[in-house]
Amino acid sequence: MKYLTDYSNIFTRYDLNIEVARQAARKVSKDELLQKVADSVVRGDDEESAKLTKEALQKKSPMDVINEGLIPGMNEVSRLWDEGVYFLPQVILASDAMNAGIALCEEAMGKAMDKKGKVVTHTAEGDIHDIGQVIVNALLNANGFEVINLGADVPVDKVVEACRVNNPVMVTGTALMTTTMTAFPKIASQLKRLGLNIPFVCGGGAVSEEYVTSFELGIWGKEANQAPGMAEDALSGDNWQAMRGKWNG
Amino acid sequence: MLGKERVMKIFNHEKPDRMPCFCVNGTPTYEQMEKVGAFWPEGHERAEDMAKLAIAAYTVLGFDAVRAPFCQTFEAEALGCKVKLGGKENIPGIDHPTLYKLDDIPVLPDDFLKRGRIPQLIEAVRIMKREVGDKVAVIGGIIGPFTIAGAMLDAVPILKASFKTPDKLRPFLDVAEKAGTMLGQALVDAGADMIAVEDMQASPDLIAPHTYRDLELEYQKKQVEALSVPVILHICGNVDKIIGFMHETGCAGISLEPKSDTKLARKIVGTNVALIGGVDAATTLFMKGPDDVKDASREQIEMGLDVLAPGCAIAPGTPTANLLAMVEVAKEYTYL
Repeated sequence: MKYLTDYSNIFTRYDLNIEVARQAARKVSKDELLQKVADSVVRGDDEESAKLTKEALQKKSPMDVINEGLIPGMNEVSRLWDEGVYFLPQVILASDAMNAGIALCEEAMGKAMDKKGKVVTHTAEGDIHDIGQVIVNALLNANGFEVINLGADVPVDKVVEACRVNNPVMVTGTALMTTTMTAFPKIASQLKRLGLNIPFVCGGGAVSEEYVTSFELGIWGKEANQAPGMAEDALSGDNWQAMRGKWNG
Repeated sequence: MLGKERVMKIFNHEKPDRMPCFCVNGTPTYEQMEKVGAFWPEGHERAEDMAKLAIAAYTVLGFDAVRAPFCQTFEAEALGCKVKLGGKENIPGIDHPTLYKLDDIPVLPDDFLKRGRIPQLIEAVRIMKREVGDKVAVIGGIIGPFTIAGAMLDAVPILKASFKTPDKLRPFLDVAEKAGTMLGQALVDAGADMIAVEDMQASPDLIAPHTYRDLELEYQKKQVEALSVPVILHICGNVDKIIGFMHETGCAGISLEPKSDTKLARKIVGTNVALIGGVDAATTLFMKGPDDVKDASREQIEMGLDVLAPGCAIAPGTPTANLLAMVEVAKEYTYL
């Protein structure tokens, strides 16, 4: 159960008081130093988080620094984003700060940390309007997924190949135009042919639910900020049919 | 009453015979292209084709204003960004590699107005003015400072800098504002009655509202003041958190997507600013039928619009019937 620990934001008009954006994290760790690590992530300060992570590693195990400092800090950022207090730049900077710390912890462990899972993201072939994908990448990164970012104007074969090599829990496609979204069913059918039943979330501009749910594997993404929730579902083992049932229709 | 008079009355704070209907953003559709015999990509790069496609908004759809261009890349291209035109069906966009890094010093070329496709755009506005300028309003489109700066630097670097090193963005915003204003004034000289500023990247979907207030507002204000005609400001997404600041730019009209709260906008901007918007360009105009378009239009008008319009650029696959349905609704709202 969640308890209310801070009353200061109740009935705060964020539209009038937008400077609330620079607030500190709630208390997420009993350890003072790890709390500072978390705070540096919430502030999106990658130099500070690297410095504090190094300090923390003198006394704590790398996994403790990750699990009790860096990740709880990022969870705070997710909360602030969900509540409309934080905006996209803060999410991007915070995930840079978290990743700077995680890289040092991995170095100390001598091996890579297990990420939640991989997600392949791309913007459709012929389409270079990738701002939607930029948002999706930022939010997935922030939520601990390893993003295989293929960028914009990506040929069908390259998306399929990236899925084959990386075996992601989910693949996403964004397209501004109805003329470029025609690449999506081609990708889906090639994935099927290879036996890769990866949930394929498609969205952006003129991409409609009706279109995306007309081909196998397809799940329609209405807003970029649905991406982390969808990736969590895919990670927990939901297949594309279950995800479509939950997120579409 | 002619469309032009109808539109100008709105900006002079007088009552027209009925609600005007036009689009602040790009208007071409594949169906209009067939009807007027002008197509993409020529419509993005040749004055005659561009003018023909723009004028179709009047001759085919019956809008009260015509508008060029149909993409957001003219200034960026003239500043040196690489542009991908997109062929027959797609809208041009900015390609990689990105022109500048954050520590570079951006340059506004002396011959800016002669570069890229800008001379064709200016000529297109001249043709539009000559052909239909006495019947409908002519709108010249420019891009807002933050969005041009975004094209120069790429999205992720500019978003990060907006928090980490906002002052490093100032030289870019300065060049971007000057580029847009210079193009805007050239379009006014060519005959544009109004200027529409599209500033997609200044949306709270991308930047924080205080970044808009502390960084972008000053440049937009400068731009609005410098242009000698009414300016309509269009920012995508939900702009509830910045609508008051948009009002502070001094613009004559604000173009809203239905994602924003039209009632709130009306409350905040009062009656001095024309509110333009109504129908979601993707989920309603493009994907639904005429009846849904009519319902959505009426619902938004009731919230306090002055001009009925698509909330963003018209998707090129949009059926003409849906656009005509929108115009029909505007005709229902008479003031006489």
